[in-house]
Amino acid sequence: MPYKMLDKYPKKFRGTGIITPMWASLRRTFLSTIHRSMTIMYPYEKEWVPDNYRGRPGLIFDRCLGCGICVRACPTTCIELVEVADDDGNMVKRPQVNVGRCMMCGYCAEYCPVNAMTTTTDYELAEFSRKDLIYDPRRLAFEGTNEMMEVHLEEHLLSNLAKGVTDQPTAFYKTDRPVLEEKKCISCMKCSKVCPVEAIEMVVVGKNDKGRDIKHPKIDGEKCVSCENCVIACPKSALKIEEVL
Amino acid sequence: MGLSILDWIVFKNPMANEYYPFGDMYNLPYEIGYKLSEIILGFVAWFLNLFVHDNLWSQWLVSDVVMNVLAIILLVVVIFGVGFIVNLTMIWEERKILGRLMDRRGTQIGPLGYFQCLGDGLKTFMKENIAPKAIDKKIYWWGLALVIGTSVLLACMVPLSGRWFIADYKVGLLILFGMFALAPFLILCAGWAQNNKFSLIGGMRAAELMISYEVPMLIILATSCLLAGAYGINDLVQFQNDHLWFVIPEIIGFFTFFVCAIAESERVPFDLSEAEAELVEGWQTEYAGMKWGLIMLADYFRGYVACAFIVLLFLGGWAMPFAGTDTWYAEIWFLFKVCAVFAAFVWARGAFPRVRTDQIINIGWRVLMPLSILNLVVVVAIKLMGWM
Amino acid sequence: MVEERMNTDKMWITMGPQHPFSHGLWTLRVHADGEIITDAEPEIGYLHRGWEKECENRTYAKIIPMADRLCYSASMTWSHVFCKVAEEALDIEVPERAQYLRVIADEICRIQSHLMWLAAVGTDLGNLTVFLWALREREFFLDLNIRLCGQRLTTNYPRIGGVRNDMPYYFERDCMRCVERFETVGLPEIMKLATDSSPFVGRMQGIKYLTAKDVANWGVTGPAMRGCGVDYDVRRDDPYDAYGEIDFEVPVLNKNNPKGGDAYDRFLVRLEEMYQSCEIIRQAFQKLQSIPKEAPSRVKVPRCIPAGTHMAKIEDPRGESIMYLVSDGTEKPWRLKVRSPIFVNVSSSKHMVDGVRIADVPAIMAMIDMCLGETDR
Repeated sequence: MPYKMLDKYPKKFRGTGIITPMWASLRRTFLSTIHRSMTIMYPYEKEWVPDNYRGRPGLIFDRCLGCGICVRACPTTCIELVEVADDDGNMVKRPQVNVGRCMMCGYCAEYCPVNAMTTTTDYELAEFSRKDLIYDPRRLAFEGTNEMMEVHLEEHLLSNLAKGVTDQPTAFYKTDRPVLEEKKCISCMKCSKVCPVEAIEMVVVGKNDKGRDIKHPKIDGEKCVSCENCVIACPKSALKIEEVL
Repeated sequence: MGLSILDWIVFKNPMANEYYPFGDMYNLPYEIGYKLSEIILGFVAWFLNLFVHDNLWSQWLVSDVVMNVLAIILLVVVIFGVGFIVNLTMIWEERKILGRLMDRRGTQIGPLGYFQCLGDGLKTFMKENIAPKAIDKKIYWWGLALVIGTSVLLACMVPLSGRWFIADYKVGLLILFGMFALAPFLILCAGWAQNNKFSLIGGMRAAELMISYEVPMLIILATSCLLAGAYGINDLVQFQNDHLWFVIPEIIGFFTFFVCAIAESERVPFDLSEAEAELVEGWQTEYAGMKWGLIMLADYFRGYVACAFIVLLFLGGWAMPFAGTDTWYAEIWFLFKVCAVFAAFVWARGAFPRVRTDQIINIGWRVLMPLSILNLVVVVAIKLMGWM
Repeated sequence: MVEERMNTDKMWITMGPQHPFSHGLWTLRVHADGEIITDAEPEIGYLHRGWEKECENRTYAKIIPMADRLCYSASMTWSHVFCKVAEEALDIEVPERAQYLRVIADEICRIQSHLMWLAAVGTDLGNLTVFLWALREREFFLDLNIRLCGQRLTTNYPRIGGVRNDMPYYFERDCMRCVERFETVGLPEIMKLATDSSPFVGRMQGIKYLTAKDVANWGVTGPAMRGCGVDYDVRRDDPYDAYGEIDFEVPVLNKNNPKGGDAYDRFLVRLEEMYQSCEIIRQAFQKLQSIPKEAPSRVKVPRCIPAGTHMAKIEDPRGESIMYLVSDGTEKPWRLKVRSPIFVNVSSSKHMVDGVRIADVPAIMAMIDMCLGETDR
């Protein structure tokens, strides 16, 4: 590959001095007078942004599981789970975003197992107080959310690639599951209480010395979204996420 | 004198006034001022006369002396007002043309963005008026006042036509030029007084600029006067109208003077004394708030005078081809020419970067100086051959 | 008597931290004898955010958007170099499609970063037209960034083991249109005001010759070094990702010139780099044709990185950027060291401005293309 312009401009100056810049600027003056100039008159007209634009996070309320993956994925810890009433009046956990802290990285949308968190095209976020910058779950809903705003996580397993399988994209919430180290389990049932998708069922595996049931969690791999709530809740660190690679 | 108001406001011929200051020359702004003062004073005198019939105060108010004094004050106001509006128009013109040149829109407030500079002026006016502690107070304030004052005075002294002037000197061009050349000296003083290294260097650069550009400029000015055979502005314009606009015989001088005029009014390719890339704001660094705003306004007044110089010396002043110098639109035609020359200033601003100090001295002494002398030789040859 | 009263010392002029020539917050104290500079002293640290320390409290995935914030106009390359060091540590081969996508994203980033630099050169030399025209051209590339990854500047596009998403529909068409417009219309128009204009060139030509030996000794990298005759580019000499399969020329000037290069040479090298980047984008798209659209662009990586020390380097728009990772086997790095090209380049500014005029300081420092985010970290 040869140089494209460096050969034309060697050490010796080859320009035409002052004529070329004068002509070029005059030409642009006439062009921008005849046509419209490049600038957009911002408050009156807005630039079109594609649907995959990463503005503030949005939430599709009914899809959300309240699993908290977005909370843990957020680099600036601007998301927290709050209790709100859903359409039937039941109290459920949903994410609330402090947009004043959000860095619009889109991780919450990317890691959401059910694509409830989305990116939106909303970028005009100025408010008069910091309190107004906190978007509760209902306010997070964005009008005109479409499927282009969802971010689909498509990862390929290295083991699959080694086998030559290249058409089975997966994601961590489809493959990674918690596993139990049975010796440590004390049958406290905390894991089954925190599970957002009710994938944990406590199964009786025997009786202890005092005659009480020993219950161990049994994890339903179909339902589980790998949210790690059980892992965090476990007081004896008996549960651990097993990564499939 | 009767009770009717028309007895008091009679619209006399101003030139018939005993104290008419312009001799046998007709002066339009004076007439405007005279008419206005007749209305004002006549009304007051009539009003007093309603209470006390034939009182001395009313008689005194409409006498020639009082009428003349108020007319002169109003003459100054009218001339300054027109200069100020022209100045605002030029700021608007610059921002609009630069906007188009840079592929953006320029000013937005008001019709076609005309009121933007009023808004900017208001904003600058609201800024805090800060003066540093360790300044040389006397020179700091006097330098500022004189820079602004001389620039405004200069702009008022430029005649717009044969009937629109503040004083008609036989050596008008020389006086204008003398005032014009005063600014760099004041900038040097103001830069020194601010006790700031940036403004000090800016002031020094202004002096540097003055040395390298004043001389070719003065030579070309003298050449034009030589060609016309007079120093008076009226004579110069009349001569160009009778013969030929000087831009044709003095084409070298025209371009040389153009470059010098940009440098003299400290506009962008040559605005070394306020080079914002290296010297923050140059000699204006410590002038905060409205002081800075007025300096910017004064800069544009000087730009206006530089353009007026070019129009008067080379482009025939207010002379319209085939219509002569005594047209009813002479002032408008002159200001139109000034704005057209200013558009070329703006164009140069958009196309070129700022030059360096050593380059500016090189250009001044090695290029512009020989060119101005060449121009003088050409003019002398024309005069000797008797072509003009 | 006069000598006693008049203090004729040289003076220290503090240019910065709020000074029009310093892009960002830094100070250059120059010792000036009238207009000639005899000594200089750069001072940085106004923008220190504790970036490296913050990374020690974040998981590896969370560091990628933070790496974007190192430099506002080279965000793609900074997150790229972080992903590379993590992949180095995990010993993972990135899928081929992701490699080409990263190359395309990097070169878009390089062009827009160089256009930002060209704009800054325009203001430094006092011509606002170059500034606005360059920013106008830059908008097209920022729009490409929006299409590809959803944001203009903080792209957050590379991931450990691939890229965030595959290209959207019609991205290739848009990108090629933009590149062709840039090569034939956009950049030549700006060059008419820059390289064809004798006042513009006159501000840079003959200003501060730096020899290849000096530049190499000071550790200066990037276009500033290549303009002075050192023939080194990480993309060609230590190819990463798909750069090994792409045929491009590294612009080098004054290779065998003992005098070295002046500011104008360093200026020209960057302009030529933009043309070469266009060529790289074109070739990368041609190579992408042979890879099916369904091919993987991201692999799943473990959360924890095995203990050890690892290093990765890539060619930033401003020079050679290196990240050095010490991992203790957990999901957070134990230490992450950033070698920023500008930090090294700016430390040589003392020698670069020695003996020039004050008016030349913006012209010389503009050729470094300062970015304080990565310098102070």
